[in-house]
Formats: sequence, C-alpha cells, structure tokens
Amino acid sequence: MTIDTEVAALRQVPMFKDIDPSRLKLLAFASERIQYKAGQRLFLQGDAADAAYVILEGRADILLKTPGGDVKVAELGRNQIVGEMAIISDTPRSATVVAGEASAALRIDKRVFLDLLVQFPQMAIAIMREIARRLERTNAQLVSAQRG
Amino acid sequence: MNKSLFKYIWRYSRREQIIIFLVVLASLPFYYVSLDLPRRIVNEAIQGRSFQNGQETASFLGISLAWPGWLGGGETTFWPGFQVGRLELLFGLSFLFLFFVLVNGWFKYWINVAKGALGERMMRRMRFELFSLALRFTPDALRTVKSSEAATIIKDEVEPIGGFIGDAFIQPVFLGTQAATALIFILLQSVWLGLMAGGVVGIQFIVIPRMRRDLLRLGRMRQIESRRLAGRIGEVIDGMEAVQVHDTARWERAEIGHRLFHLFDIRFRIYKRKFVVKFLNNLLAQMTPFFFYAFGGYFALRGRLDIGQLVAVIAAYRELPPPLKELIDWDQQRLDVQVKYDQVVGYFASDRIIHRDDDAPEPDDEPLVGPLRASGLKAFDAYGNAVIDNAAFDIALPASIHLVGAGGPGASTLARILAHRDTGFSGELKIGDHDLANLPRSAIGRRIAYAGSEPILFPGSLRDNLLYGLKQNPPAPQEQTEEELRRLLEAKRTGNPFESLDVDWTDLGQAGAANRDELDDRLLDLLGRVGLEQDVYRFGLAGRIDPERNPALAEQIVDARERLRTKLEADGMADLVEPFDPDRYNTRATVAENLLFGVPKSRDLVGRALAEHPRFREALGRAKLTDVLVGLGAEIARTMTDIFRGVPSGHPLFDQFSFIHADELTEFDDVLKRVGVRGRGGPTRDDRTRLIALPLAYIEPRHRLGLIDEALQDKLVAARATVREILARDGADEIDVYDPDKIAMAAPVRDNLLFGRVNESVADARELVRVAGAEVLAEMNLKKDLERVGLDHQVGPAGRLLTSSQRASVNLIRCLVKRPDLLVVDGALAAFGEEQVDGVLDLLMSETEGRTLTIVLPNDHHADRFDVTMQFEGAALSVEDRRTAPERVTAAAAE
Repeated sequence: MTIDTEVAALRQVPMFKDIDPSRLKLLAFASERIQYKAGQRLFLQGDAADAAYVILEGRADILLKTPGGDVKVAELGRNQIVGEMAIISDTPRSATVVAGEASAALRIDKRVFLDLLVQFPQMAIAIMREIARRLERTNAQLVSAQRG
Repeated sequence: MNKSLFKYIWRYSRREQIIIFLVVLASLPFYYVSLDLPRRIVNEAIQGRSFQNGQETASFLGISLAWPGWLGGGETTFWPGFQVGRLELLFGLSFLFLFFVLVNGWFKYWINVAKGALGERMMRRMRFELFSLALRFTPDALRTVKSSEAATIIKDEVEPIGGFIGDAFIQPVFLGTQAATALIFILLQSVWLGLMAGGVVGIQFIVIPRMRRDLLRLGRMRQIESRRLAGRIGEVIDGMEAVQVHDTARWERAEIGHRLFHLFDIRFRIYKRKFVVKFLNNLLAQMTPFFFYAFGGYFALRGRLDIGQLVAVIAAYRELPPPLKELIDWDQQRLDVQVKYDQVVGYFASDRIIHRDDDAPEPDDEPLVGPLRASGLKAFDAYGNAVIDNAAFDIALPASIHLVGAGGPGASTLARILAHRDTGFSGELKIGDHDLANLPRSAIGRRIAYAGSEPILFPGSLRDNLLYGLKQNPPAPQEQTEEELRRLLEAKRTGNPFESLDVDWTDLGQAGAANRDELDDRLLDLLGRVGLEQDVYRFGLAGRIDPERNPALAEQIVDARERLRTKLEADGMADLVEPFDPDRYNTRATVAENLLFGVPKSRDLVGRALAEHPRFREALGRAKLTDVLVGLGAEIARTMTDIFRGVPSGHPLFDQFSFIHADELTEFDDVLKRVGVRGRGGPTRDDRTRLIALPLAYIEPRHRLGLIDEALQDKLVAARATVREILARDGADEIDVYDPDKIAMAAPVRDNLLFGRVNESVADARELVRVAGAEVLAEMNLKKDLERVGLDHQVGPAGRLLTSSQRASVNLIRCLVKRPDLLVVDGALAAFGEEQVDGVLDLLMSETEGRTLTIVLPNDHHADRFDVTMQFEGAALSVEDRRTAPERVTAAAAE
C-alpha cells in the first residue's frame, strides 16, 4: 500500500480533484493510514475536531445521538471524506463515526490541512469551490423541500 | 585571604619554595662548567695548547681554576686528573660537555616539575578558599553577586595567578643567578666585554618596565570588562525566556556587540604596546653581538683575548638574553598577577562575607524544644520601615503555627527570621534556651527546615534532590586505598577538605530509615501523598535499569515482557505490537534500527552520524547494501524535492515530515543530478553519505513510498550479523543488542517492556498498549519498583525538566524527609492549585505531628486547622492560641 494509491483515492474526493498532484502527494505523505476494526470509533460526537478522514477501504457509519440511543443516519464508502467541515469551521464533531466493517482510513491532521491551505492558495480556492457547490446544492434541496 | 599576593604565597609555600631554591643553587656550578667547557675544547684540544712544548699528554678531569689578571692571575689546582693524549682529550672533553648538558637538562626538568606542582597546589588552595568564601556570602551580598561572575573568578581569573605562583620566588632567583653567572663568566674573561653586556642589561631593566606600566592599567580594564561580559552572558542565558517572549534578541545582540567592541579596543591597545616593547627588547638583544664581534674581535686581534675566550664569551652571551627576557617577563607577570589578585580579593571583600570558622568544632546536636519566646522583636525593611514592630509572644512548642500577613511582609519576614534566613532583627527570640540569633550552624541545618517560594534544585536525579538536606555530615571514613591516601596527602598540602565523596553522605538516621530501600519507600510515600505518584511512575517507565545493579528487577521486566505478549494475544490485540525478532524484519522500525538491531549507546550511531560511521559503512559495504541504500536515498530525495517544493523553509510541515531540511532542498537537487552520472562528475563521497542517511530513517508503513519489498527485508535481516560483528570489533561496545531474554540497559523501561514497536496504523494502538502494559505491571506488583526507578529521573539544570508544582513538591519533601524540629514553609504552596493545597496541608500536618510547623498562608481559610494563628496587621502582631482558653494564656504570661 503506497502513497500513490492514496493519492489516487484523494483524487476521487471532489474537494481535492482540482489540486496539483505534487500537493496531493504532500497531503498524503503528511497524513496517516489507520486501520479500524468493525465497530471501532473514528471520532465521537461532541469531541474537538482534530482531523478529517478519507475512507480507503471498507465503510464507515455516521451515528447521531438521540434520546433513544445512537441512530445511524448515513453510510460512507470508499474515497469519501468525513469530518472535514468541523476542522474548517473549528466546531465540535456533529456526529459519531464508527467503522462499519474492518476498514482503513487516511487521517488528515487538522493542522497539516490548514497549513497547506494557508501555503497554497490554489488549494484553498479548490476547497472553497467545493464548499460553494455544497451550499448551492443544499439551497436547491431547501427550495425543493419547501416546494414539496 | 591575605591582602598581599607575595605574603599569601610565602605563607603557604615557604617550604617548597626554599627546597626548589636550594636545588637551583646546587645546579649553578654545573651550569658554569658547561659554559666553560667549550673554551677548553677549543683551546686545549683543538688548538692543542695543552700539548705545547712537546708535551705528549695533558691532564684530563683535573679540577683547577684560572684566575684572571685583575684578580692577581695564577691557577689553583684542586685535583691533577688523568694524563691523556690529544684525541682522547678532545673526545673526553666533548663527552664531558655532553654529560653536563644532560645534568643541566635534568636540573631544569626537576625544577620545572616542582614549580608546576607548587603552582597547581597553590591554585587548588586558592580556588577552594574562594569557593568556601563564596558559600559564605551574606544574604545582602547575594543580591548583587552574579553567579557567572563568581564562577569566572574562581575558574579563570585564578588560573594565571596559579601559573605564576610556582615562579613567584624561584623564577627571579633562578634566572637572576643564571644571568649573573653568565655575566660573571664574561667579566672573568674580559672586563670590557662584561661591562658592555652589563650596560645593555641595565638599559633593558630600566627602560622596559617603565613602558609596561600602561600595559598594566589596560590589563586591569580588560579583566574587569571580561568578567562583566561573562556576567552579562550568564544573565542573558538565564533570562532567555524573557528575551524570547519580548523578542529583544536584537537589543541583546547589540549590547553584547558593544561590549565586544570595547573589549577588542582594550585588547588591541594592549597588543600595540606589547609589540613595541618586544621590538625594543629584541633590538637591544641583537645589538650586543655586534659589540662582541667588533670589540671582542678587536681584543682578540690585539692578543688581549684568545680565540677560545671569544668563542666562550659569545656562547655565554647567547645564554644571557633569554634569562633576562624571562626576568623582565616575570616582572611584568608579577604586576599583572598582583592586579588580578587584588581584584579577586576585592570581590570577596570581608564586608560581603559571613564571618565564621568553618573548622571550629561543632557543639553537640541538641533538639530545638521548649517554648518559642520573643520580646521586643523588631525588623525593618531595606528602606528603614518597620516590618515587625515590637512583637512579643510565648508559644508552647510543638505547635502548628499559621502566619497571616494580610498583604504585608511581616509574616514572611518572621518566617525567615525563624528559619535563620534573615538575621537583621533586634530584640530577643528564643526556643527554650537557644537564642535564635546565635544558633550554631549544625542546628540550623539539622533542626530547622525552610521551604521558600523558589525551589532550588540541582542537576541530578530526583532522589539526589529529595535527599539533599540529609547530606550535612560526612560519614565515617572507609578503608583507605593508596589512591585515597594520595588524595588525603594532597588535601592536607592545599588546605582542602579530607572528606571522601566515595562514601554515602546521606544521613539515614536523621530520616529515620534503616537502609536506602526504606528511605526510598518513604520518599515514594511522600511523593504519592503530594499527588506525584503517576508522575514518578511515568519517570520510571522512561527510566533505565542497570541489570547488574538491579538483576531481580531486570529479570522481572523480561517476565513482564512475556506476560504482556500473552495478554495482547489473549485479548486479540497481538497486531498492536510488532515484536523484535532476530530473524525477521520489523516493519514498524526504521531501516537503521533493523540493521543495528539494538539500542545505540553513543551519539555516533544515531541519525546522520550513523551514515558517516566508518565501521557501519564498512559493514554496509560488506553486506552489499551501500548501493542499495544510495538508490533508496535518491528515491526518497526525489520524492521529497518534488512534494516539498514551494513549501517555505521553517514551515512546520518541513520540521514534522520531511526527510530533508528545507535549506538542503537545492543541495539535494544537485546531488540528484550527480547521481545519474558515472565516473567524473558523479556523486561524491559526501553525496553518497547524505543519501544513505535518508533511508536509514525510513519506515515503510509510515512513509509509504513503497521502497522496501520482502527481498530487501531479507537482505537487511541477513546484514544484521555483519553489522554487529564489525561494530563489535576490537572490543567496541556501542550497541545494546535486542535479546528476548535480556534487558537492554540503553533503552527505557517502556521499550524493554514492549520489546517491539507499536503498530501505529491500528487505531488507538498506543493507548491500548499503554493500558495493557500498566495492567501487567500492576498484576506483577512492579509499580513500586518502577517508581523507584523513577527516583533516578534526572531533573535537569535547576530542575527545569520538572513542572513548577513538581519542583515545589521536591522542595517540601526535601524538608520533610529530614524531620526537622521546626519546619518553616513560606510561599512554597503557591505553586499548587487550590484543590491540591488541601492535600499538601494534610501531608504537612501529619508529617510534623509532634514537631513544629510554621506556615505562611495568604489568607485564613485554613486557620481552624492550626493550633496558633499569628496575624500581622501592618507591623503589629497578634497571637491566638486555640489550644488554651483565654484565661490560661494570661496565666502563662504571668508565670
């Protein structure tokens, strides 16, 4: 398992797809590849956000706390990123994420991520573009929800 | 110390000086003979004057003295000698000359060694005396004394004085007599030449010292400036935090730059003057031979001087300038050293020193018990304001006393007075029959303990610091080895202490412990009760175990290693740790660790130094790994230069992740260009070394560059034996090899327990392993042993490796462990958090049960816990004793 496969995985993430290959390689190099057993936690709702994760193998479940216990609200598969919004907005984790099966994830440290954004404006612009797209999408969903 | 340097030297080295002087005197006749022999060789043997008038033989080894004409002439014969032929005479005289050269050499050697030893001993004595004086600085003087200045004085400034002492008396005598002998010899040969030589000497002696006076003034300035520079550098280093916090490095640099300029200026002026003097000296010395050749030749031609005499005179004259020059140098040195000595003595002026006799017999150690009584107690601050005004009290001891200052300095001052830290008070203060103003030193050390707000820690282990207060009295001397006797003899000669450091000074009795183990237990108990149990345990895990000193524990750690492995396997966590296996590559360890397969004991086998290590390189070559590693290095360098391009140097990403330092990025570009080239223009030796250093730090699962496949792993494992063999050649012992059945002393306990590397790729691996390890240690009851190892933890200079509350704890426990009759705590609790203070107070209370505790607290929140509260309102003191009803207080006062 080399850094090149991880770069390929990062490239699948919409947020990173426009980023220069050598930057992406630096991001991968400065990140850690971590293995999880089924049920092992990536992070806990309410914790301080210290990293984002890209799922490399397996899948992750997103759980929300409810009075009746944790409820699974979504499932993430390969090459999907999770936890990135909390490290950008500097807010606590909004959900708990656990490995749904034996999985591997690339852990992108918050400081490394932000350092890279500060250092390479084209990276920051790529991220902004992705966030703007998401906002647009959310707005569109909101509008359709109101209509519906 | 004596005001005059020469009196000081004479007082302590009279005997040696006289012995050396006598030897110098004894050497003079030999010296004279060696001067006279060349004349005889030329005249008697070569020119054959002894064989005039058809004589076949001449006298050899006859002792006679020919008197010059102006002393009446004639010859006195002491012994007729042997009759020998001309050739025999030549060789005989020549060998005799050689013999006297050797004898003179031997004398010089002996005298130099004796002088050197004398100087070193006196220097040792002075250093020791100055250090003893430094220990006696008054609290007042301590406010202005700079530690680095005192250190410079004791270390550097005394050094030239020591070097001079050996020469102080002997040099002028030796050189003076030598010069005089040569001069007299010349005079005996020819009065005129003698007078000429004497004249030049006279000029040298009168003119040059005058020119040197200015040099002395400058020398004094230089000394003071250098000392200030040392002091200033010390201040800046000690205050580095402030410099960095306020970013005043520029100002500090400018300040030091100015001082350096000033110092340079002084030194440059000294050089200019010095070389003028030297020039003059040389000129005079070189002019004399001119006179000798011209006038000596003239006399010889006229027949008033024979050739042999002329040769001898010139030879003798060659001997004259060096002693003279040295004599003048000596005079210069004398003045110079006198200046230094005055400065040194001035620094330790008597008004800055507490007067007492260090060697006076100690009075018997008596407990400090009985009532604490004061009447008319007054103390003032530096501006003459009353801090304690006319205080009077009578408190039955033992008691727990609570001093409240209400923002004023009164409480703290009283605490310092009680602990004998402050002696500037008037009035009467007694405990029982002991007047606190004149308490003997030993009583202060043994019966009183004082914990101030600034803990003072010395570099060394935690244990050393905790037990520092028990090192007051030297233990009984052990059996004396020859080395020890030699040390004692030297100590006696130089006024140094006789006490040995090889024996344990720790006074177990005072701590109430039967042996060191019990003492350790007590320390751990106290540390636990101030809340440092976890800290000490962690220190223990990071500490090292010496299997020879502690074989049982080493064995248990090896057992614990097994248990941890079994436990991890049983809990399905075996993948968390990749154990060290002599036959398998450890993927979680660096390439270097895999090759060495052990813990390096020296810095030469760590980091980039390893790539330069000649033996390691030899081993790589033998294992055919050099080119492989160079190739991997090039691969890593290529990736690094690619992905880090554009990242500015000093960026945190570099420090954290890059194999290559930011400044080296362009250099590696060049290296990589050369790597592709064969022959000329190809990689240099240095390039290869730099490339080899890169893969040595490489860990495949962490760095993920896909560089190490299984074939390479096998090759690296196979190279282990070669590396070990070559590194261990000639008995070198630089690696503590990993052995499943042994402990590696060079590695911390934690690593020994793990005996492998944590698999960081598994989520939470480190924490899971830590917990499992702690459980194993707890099961095996090893926690206590590890805490004991933790007592060996090094605290760093001034304890800087500890946190401030750890330092404060050490300060308190150091006081508690010596079980003083009177414990004074003044501000030492400030470093603890509010909730911790309660626990610490509990500890202090229970540990001083039956003894007296006096504690200064900022408020009266805890007042109810104490027997007595002494409250200051400004300088006025009121005392409340809760043990006695109010009427009984008056009754006690009336008694």
